[in-house]
Amino acid sequence: MNAVSNRPRVYFIADFNIEMLARLVAHTVVPGAEVATAPFGQVMPALAGAPPGPDWTVVVWTQPASVVDAFHRALAFEPVVVDQALAETRAYAEAIVRFAAGARAVFVPAWVRPPWQRGYGMLDFRPGTGIGHLLAQMNLALAEALRDHPSIFVLDAQRWMAAVGPRGWSQKLWYAAKSPFAPALLEEAARDIGAALAGLDGVARRLVIVDLDNVLWGGVVGETGWQGLNLGGHDHVGEAFADFQHALKGLTRRGVQLAIASRNDESTALEAIDRHPEMQLRRDDFAGWRINWGDKAQNILELLADLRLGPESAVFIDDSAVERARVETAIPEVAVPDWPADPARFSETLLSLRVFDSPFLTAEDRARTRMYAAERTRRVDPAAAGNLEEWLESLDIRVTVEPLSDSNVDRTVQLFNKTNQMNLATRRLSKTELQAWASDPDHLLLTLRVADRFGDSGVTGIAGISIEGARARLVDFILSCRVIGRGIEDAMLHVAIAQARARGATEIVAELRPTPRNGPCLDFLRRSELRGISDTVFVWDAADAYPRPRWCTLYDSPGMAAAVDQ
Amino acid sequence: MEREQALRILYETIDVVNQQLPPARRLRKAPETVIVGVSGSLDSLGIVSFVVTLEEKAGEMLGAPVVLLDEATLVAEDSPFRSVATLTSHLATITRG
Repeated sequence: MNAVSNRPRVYFIADFNIEMLARLVAHTVVPGAEVATAPFGQVMPALAGAPPGPDWTVVVWTQPASVVDAFHRALAFEPVVVDQALAETRAYAEAIVRFAAGARAVFVPAWVRPPWQRGYGMLDFRPGTGIGHLLAQMNLALAEALRDHPSIFVLDAQRWMAAVGPRGWSQKLWYAAKSPFAPALLEEAARDIGAALAGLDGVARRLVIVDLDNVLWGGVVGETGWQGLNLGGHDHVGEAFADFQHALKGLTRRGVQLAIASRNDESTALEAIDRHPEMQLRRDDFAGWRINWGDKAQNILELLADLRLGPESAVFIDDSAVERARVETAIPEVAVPDWPADPARFSETLLSLRVFDSPFLTAEDRARTRMYAAERTRRVDPAAAGNLEEWLESLDIRVTVEPLSDSNVDRTVQLFNKTNQMNLATRRLSKTELQAWASDPDHLLLTLRVADRFGDSGVTGIAGISIEGARARLVDFILSCRVIGRGIEDAMLHVAIAQARARGATEIVAELRPTPRNGPCLDFLRRSELRGISDTVFVWDAADAYPRPRWCTLYDSPGMAAAVDQ
Repeated sequence: MEREQALRILYETIDVVNQQLPPARRLRKAPETVIVGVSGSLDSLGIVSFVVTLEEKAGEMLGAPVVLLDEATLVAEDSPFRSVATLTSHLATITRG
């Protein structure tokens, strides 16, 4: 199974001239992307064929009248049977599903119609009559028919239309160049496609670092105290700040963490967070903070180190253009959006950022804030100040080993595509590719769920093993940065080697594929009990079990060979 | 429309169309830049996209439709679409009240 190419490849299929969109993607939104277009207007023949290759992402964009004949007739005000339109819609979806089996992913913009097309006017959303209602039903049927196919994504083209208004549709371009969509709308589409491609690559931002004064609240807390801040209440500016906090809190339910970098006195700022009655965000909503009078760029680097995240994971929001410029220059990998002066625009600016797209939303994403809060508690635990091993034993770490299953596959794909530091091979795989790899009888894919007395960290480890005769190869060794440093790495090696031994392997080999980010994995392998035979290759003689950290209790799930090796 | 206004929206149009071009072939914001011609960067789709975008921007500025796209004018030997300078003059002339 091939790993996904680092250079995005995008294939466009459309019933209109989609070349302008392909060029926008290749030359501006995803510079360096390789793009190709199917012959214009040949949608169904193109879907009946195969994509250029399994590492190509495909955009299939059609106009509803060209693939659903009943809708074409509805546009001419002929009476149509709704069920017939929906059956044609499902047939189109089936063609996309067949085609998607050979592609990395497929993006299908939802159907739209020109803003000037009023249909039946006041009757246009009446069920059984209205063209607008019929189109909405068709879009829902399309989304439903594609719902269970994890590599197919219906993109909301209606939002692109709303964003640019009537100038998004151009009859003149249609007549002159066979593209109904004007550059303004295509730019919106290209940017959403770029965000979705980044999401597939697992490069979504995972942390929003915010300033406090005039960002989370109006005013300067150091001067007025929390009682003098403008937040919530019957004031349009205060309301806007409260709404912005709501929007930030909403992001945490998508797996995005919050942190604070603010020039303030820490105790004064935390008092405001704890005591202001209109605060929507409280201490437990933040994964960490640096509230002091130091340099913000340095504070952000320290925060990222604490949270074990790379700068490419972070977004920094500050009302001061000077601070934004400082961070942008010092840490160019951090996303620093232009920030409006008007608090009324804060929420819309945050929620329109195209940096959080992810192809999955897992239980771990929704619980991440709680997990980070537990990690902060873990770190300030008095026991942590003493002997490390004693502290680790006090944590009551429980590791449950499970095979790949429907219940953990989304999270596993996410770890494959997001994890950089503790990652042996940094293979980036789609769900389809991962499931295909794991279904090989000589391959074994283990997931590790980690919990301790502070909480459940969810699925945080992956070991992929290939049995090659008497030798077993550790293909993947992936551990979320959230649990690094608690001996889970050794527990994972123990489990992987136990599984390989149970299948008759006499030697286990782990070869690191170096990347700019996986130095921590190499450091761990060097520290481990494995024998290094070159700079990047490590082996274990399977005559013996790999030692298990005594502070980890291992559990295996039903149907698995024993995780614990005696 | 004044010549300065015409030049400004031509440059805005160049910004839009440049997003569809590789960096090495992007149009320079300069009077001598070729729009239609053998040494130009735009193919037929690029030219149509350029002119329609320019029409839209001019129309927005004037509050009335502006029509520039005309095949005969595009290919004429003394076409006003030859360069940024000639197109600026043409746009200023046809939109002068």
